Amino acid sequence: MEQVLWFGWFRADIIAEYAVLFWRGLQMTMLVTLICIVQGTALGLAIGMARLAEARHAPARQLCKFALRWPATVYVSFFRGTPLFVQILLIHFAVLPLFINPADGLLISGETARNLKQNYGAFLSGVIALTLNAGAYISEIFRAGIQSIDRGQVEASRSLGLSFPRTMFHVVLPQAFRRMLPPLGNNAISLLKDSSLISAIGLAELAYAARTVAGAYSRYWEPYLTISLMYWVLTLGLAYVVKNLEARYGRGDTR
Amino acid sequence: MNLLHKIVASAGLLTLALGSVQAQNKELVVGSSATYRPFAYENPAKEIVGYDVDIIKAVAQKAGLQIKVVNTPWTGIFAALNNGDVDLVISGVTINDKRKQSYDFTMPYFEARQLIAVQKDSTAKSLKDLAGKKIGVVTGSTGDDTVSREFGKTNPDIRRFESTPVVISELVNSGVDAAIGDNGVIAFRVQEHKQLKTVNDPSFPKEYFGIVVKQGNKALLDKLNAGLSAIKADGSYAQIYKKWFLAEAPVLPVQ
Repeated sequence: MEQVLWFGWFRADIIAEYAVLFWRGLQMTMLVTLICIVQGTALGLAIGMARLAEARHAPARQLCKFALRWPATVYVSFFRGTPLFVQILLIHFAVLPLFINPADGLLISGETARNLKQNYGAFLSGVIALTLNAGAYISEIFRAGIQSIDRGQVEASRSLGLSFPRTMFHVVLPQAFRRMLPPLGNNAISLLKDSSLISAIGLAELAYAARTVAGAYSRYWEPYLTISLMYWVLTLGLAYVVKNLEARYGRGDTR
Repeated sequence: MNLLHKIVASAGLLTLALGSVQAQNKELVVGSSATYRPFAYENPAKEIVGYDVDIIKAVAQKAGLQIKVVNTPWTGIFAALNNGDVDLVISGVTINDKRKQSYDFTMPYFEARQLIAVQKDSTAKSLKDLAGKKIGVVTGSTGDDTVSREFGKTNPDIRRFESTPVVISELVNSGVDAAIGDNGVIAFRVQEHKQLKTVNDPSFPKEYFGIVVKQGNKALLDKLNAGLSAIKADGSYAQIYKKWFLAEAPVLPVQ
């Protein structure tokens, strides 16, 4: 391909040469982020609730403490207390091979395992690691959001005869959600950027495309500037969505 | 002259003195990626050792150069050379025309060939047999170039990773069907895993490793070449080769 210079220094031709890789990478990054936001939020809600679980009488009281609160706390502590990069490598090269392995996988083995690993191995490990990590952070957002709602709201709702789950889903969570939106948006943006770490295990997302070009040409401005702009546009898009959601859920606010 | 002046003056003199000493006997920083056993790796005592390290030490001694070997990740190794973070690179770098456009190479110090690693039950006999299979390579390596040329540089079946050990792990876990890399490293890694074997494709051309300097740094290049000639002449080259590869050193072309 003929050398094309933009502004006298930007080799546009090498980006064009690998355009397919950048395009597929962009799609992969968006897919991974979307899946992990959805799963992470669901997991975060579950873990956040588990951390708040309480009961008045035995044995439910002990059950809440040892079967829900403790495991949830340990989980959050581990995934917030270790680097995501390490978690990705740990899951891809240690945990997943234990379960999915052609030789002696605990869950899946044989030819199915081989096909799964080859076609979706890095995707699976990356999504699992990112979801588990995001779940830990999001659970804290849920916990803080729920705890920020005045106890009187629950008491009033219970006095009106609403059951605990209904109180939670119709009274507490909607109010908490409005307050949780800004930190959740923040988290979604982090998630999008953190997805770049999955390139270390060979998942062909945006950072992988840039690394490939840099490796082939030993040029760094072109590929990394290109993906920086792409990530930037994506985060701007996410921020815009969150802003709209805030406006929508904040309509009744008088402040 | 008060005390403050004296301090400032003596500090200034000291800086000058140190500066002149450095100018006379400047320590050259050697970049090498220490994940490339047996060429360069970190031993348990945290020292970078290997064939490359022994070669550059012997060369430096003959050429009267002061050197310090610094572990530099392969991904950014050429950028480090461009930035001046390192003065020269010895890291199993294959001499090729594309790289010659941007950097200067010494005469060869190692004869290399690409080698394929596969699971023991694989029937692949050559690179051609790997069409449609997932192939693991190190980003930007000669193996990457080889498979990119054969199967297309944006082919999704090519899986690029940071280092050879990671590629081999991926092969062991069946994430890829084959790994392609430099013979010295692949052969060494395959010995460690009894479920793997190597496949030698006779159509792969001979390649040579050279020491890399910034383009136009002729003074350093000449010194390094003189050092290389000297260690080849006095037999220390053959000794180093035998120490790491347990074989007689091949006769290398002079340019």
